[in-house]
Amino acid sequence: MSLSRLQTATDILEARTRVYEAQAYKAHRGMALGSEERSSPLTLGASAVDHCLEGGLACGGLHELRSPLARDIGAATGFALGLAARAMAADRGGRGIVWVTDPATRVDGGGLFPAGLGQYGLDPSCLTMVEPGDLQGAMWAADEAAGCTGLAALIFQIKGNPARFDMTATRRLMLRARQSGVLALTLRQSGEEEASAAATRWRVNTEMSGADDDLERGVGAMRLSLTLERNRAGRTGQWLLAWNPKDRSFDHAAPNPHARANPPAHSLDRLPVSADRRNPSGKMGQVLDHRQDFGRAS
Amino acid sequence: MDAHPDAPPVVVTDTVKNAIRIIALDQRARDNGVRLNQSLSDARALVPDLDCHPADDARNKALLLKIAGWCERYTPLVALDAAPEAERNHGLFMDITGCAHLLGGEAGLISDLEVRLRAQGFHARLCLADTPGAAWAMARYGQARIIAEGAHAEAILPLSLSGLRLPPAMVASLGRVGLKTIGCIAGLPRAPLAARFGARLMQRLDQALGGETEAISPIMPVAELSTERRFAEPLTHQDEISHVTAALAEGIIEPLERRGLGLRHGRLKLFRVDGHVSELDVQTARPLRDAKLIRRLFAERIAGLHDDLDAGFGFDLIRLDVAHADPFDAAQAEMMAGHSADQGHDALVDRLGARLGLERVQRFVLADTHIPERSFGRQPVAHLGVNGSAKQAAGNAALALPPETEHPGGIITRPLILFDRPELMQTIAEVPDGPPLKFRWRGVAYEVAGSEGPERIACEWWRDGRGARTRDYFRVEDRQGYRFWMFRHGLYGRETSDPAWYMHGLFA
Repeated sequence: MSLSRLQTATDILEARTRVYEAQAYKAHRGMALGSEERSSPLTLGASAVDHCLEGGLACGGLHELRSPLARDIGAATGFALGLAARAMAADRGGRGIVWVTDPATRVDGGGLFPAGLGQYGLDPSCLTMVEPGDLQGAMWAADEAAGCTGLAALIFQIKGNPARFDMTATRRLMLRARQSGVLALTLRQSGEEEASAAATRWRVNTEMSGADDDLERGVGAMRLSLTLERNRAGRTGQWLLAWNPKDRSFDHAAPNPHARANPPAHSLDRLPVSADRRNPSGKMGQVLDHRQDFGRAS
Repeated sequence: MDAHPDAPPVVVTDTVKNAIRIIALDQRARDNGVRLNQSLSDARALVPDLDCHPADDARNKALLLKIAGWCERYTPLVALDAAPEAERNHGLFMDITGCAHLLGGEAGLISDLEVRLRAQGFHARLCLADTPGAAWAMARYGQARIIAEGAHAEAILPLSLSGLRLPPAMVASLGRVGLKTIGCIAGLPRAPLAARFGARLMQRLDQALGGETEAISPIMPVAELSTERRFAEPLTHQDEISHVTAALAEGIIEPLERRGLGLRHGRLKLFRVDGHVSELDVQTARPLRDAKLIRRLFAERIAGLHDDLDAGFGFDLIRLDVAHADPFDAAQAEMMAGHSADQGHDALVDRLGARLGLERVQRFVLADTHIPERSFGRQPVAHLGVNGSAKQAAGNAALALPPETEHPGGIITRPLILFDRPELMQTIAEVPDGPPLKFRWRGVAYEVAGSEGPERIACEWWRDGRGARTRDYFRVEDRQGYRFWMFRHGLYGRETSDPAWYMHGLFA
């Protein structure tokens, strides 16, 4: 190859590199501009939690909420809606909430009840419910929604730990949410801990409500026992929170002195009811059923 | 239909006056001496290996409709031959006014149509004339295929009267008085003929000669706009289809702009070489006039089909129809320009609907009833209309917080999760109307720590009828803090002696 041709090739290469750099810079700038307007973190309202999160939840990002038991889904849904309601109220240019459900969650037969949304100050018509026929469709819908700047929040409800919703899928969701500034929440019903790209992972347990002064033996407002199991940006912790429907924020709550004072006569082990969890870890002190007949097993 | 040269002659039979007779036959059967209306046993005696099929009107109709759908490649106005006398006349009318020049004139169109039908295995008798009636007569009883403008009257006069789409009985009685051709009655005084044979005869004559206009009713609604591309070499790859869709979408933007419209319902028609037509529909939440977005919606629609879109030997014509368009508010678009329209909420809803199906993207609509499971429903967002979302929001706001949702004390009375069907539980509760003390739900026992209620919701007698039971709802908290919404079905002692308990919802 002659020197002049080599020179030309190098020139072309250089020019190309310059184009790529310019594109990358543009993309970066566009991203920064897009997220700058919406980058202020989302506070929960409870001071200790916000302090631990260094200001609040990163709005453009993926956060995972899991409820260990199927019946904890009420509490986890409440927490997710509380966060989404705060994201809506913060008015970051988002105009609605998209709720994507994996069809597997419908097996338990529960669905969102619009009359219950009043306590979060949410108008039922601001929710768009997306119910694809399979998990793949649901993941696609969640991806699309996470990349949509016109949204305040995306709630993606799945059941258990499906193998398909893996690290790659969560990372994609995380990246898209970071670009668009959408608060993306995965609501994992009866799910195990699992490695994911989410910025934070919360375990939500229900907690006995506080004694209501007006009503003897009455049922008070929602209380959650929140465990921040994983936080990419900082510390973890555990708190007891209550939703305050008047201010639409989370408050710290004192534990109910009567809670679990007398445990039920026939208490049951809280077995997680996850759909298809992989390699469930045994709990400490749990009695396992060992096989006796190793020799005869073929 | 064409068949293998060695195949036996084919006839179609039907029961006519308690005898199985031949109502249609192919050329080979005719060559072997089989005739129309012959009884099947006679025909079998002539040709022992006759391949006979019983007539199936439903399938004939379905096939004819498919052919009609395919014929839309020539003109949007394709109609079935709907004359009551012509029940077994499997004919189609096509109004090709203004379409012929696209295929090199009338002769070009008719020969293209014939060649393509023959390639699909159909023998068709075609005729092109000024009026549907004349074309009908010439196709069945005439020889010429194209009747020059204004020459149709002259052409049909020598034809048999059957060519006027008359009931066979009328043709027979006309024949008895010596009137055998159209020309015979065209010259006669009208009044006596009408008095003797009915107004229908004169109407049919006028329709054939053009004295009375006859409108054909197209099968498919005519699109407001359409653009199409024809290909000498059929397309099979999805990428190519996607490119063509983009080009077609570009093509409709300008006419839409000129009319001040935006696309609400688009339909992509893919004409396969073998005559199959695939239709893909997309609908949008608000009028759309962006070629990129339209192309993307169709791309999602195609992706949502997975492998159901069978290209076979390829598509040789692709058409984009605007099935429905609404006024496009330019000012509104400018206001929205702050956001990138591509990423807006409505665009998202359209994309989700195109890929997953419109019915899978829904919003809550509320109803005015106290029965919890009837108090709300879900409607596809696409069906809520352009301003539906706004209107709906206003309507919902009034209903969003029904008085019972929040107590003055700020206590929440409605759960967050409602079960589709209330679930039966085993319960220990005080009679007659006390709260539950213990219960077992989904195989797990719970002890009640606190409860509120009852909140009585009466049945809707105008819907459920007499004997439907009242529900007493309780809000119940167990010792671990789970909060449930459950009800006793029926008033103890008045409606039932053994009321059942149901779990209906979960609080946060």
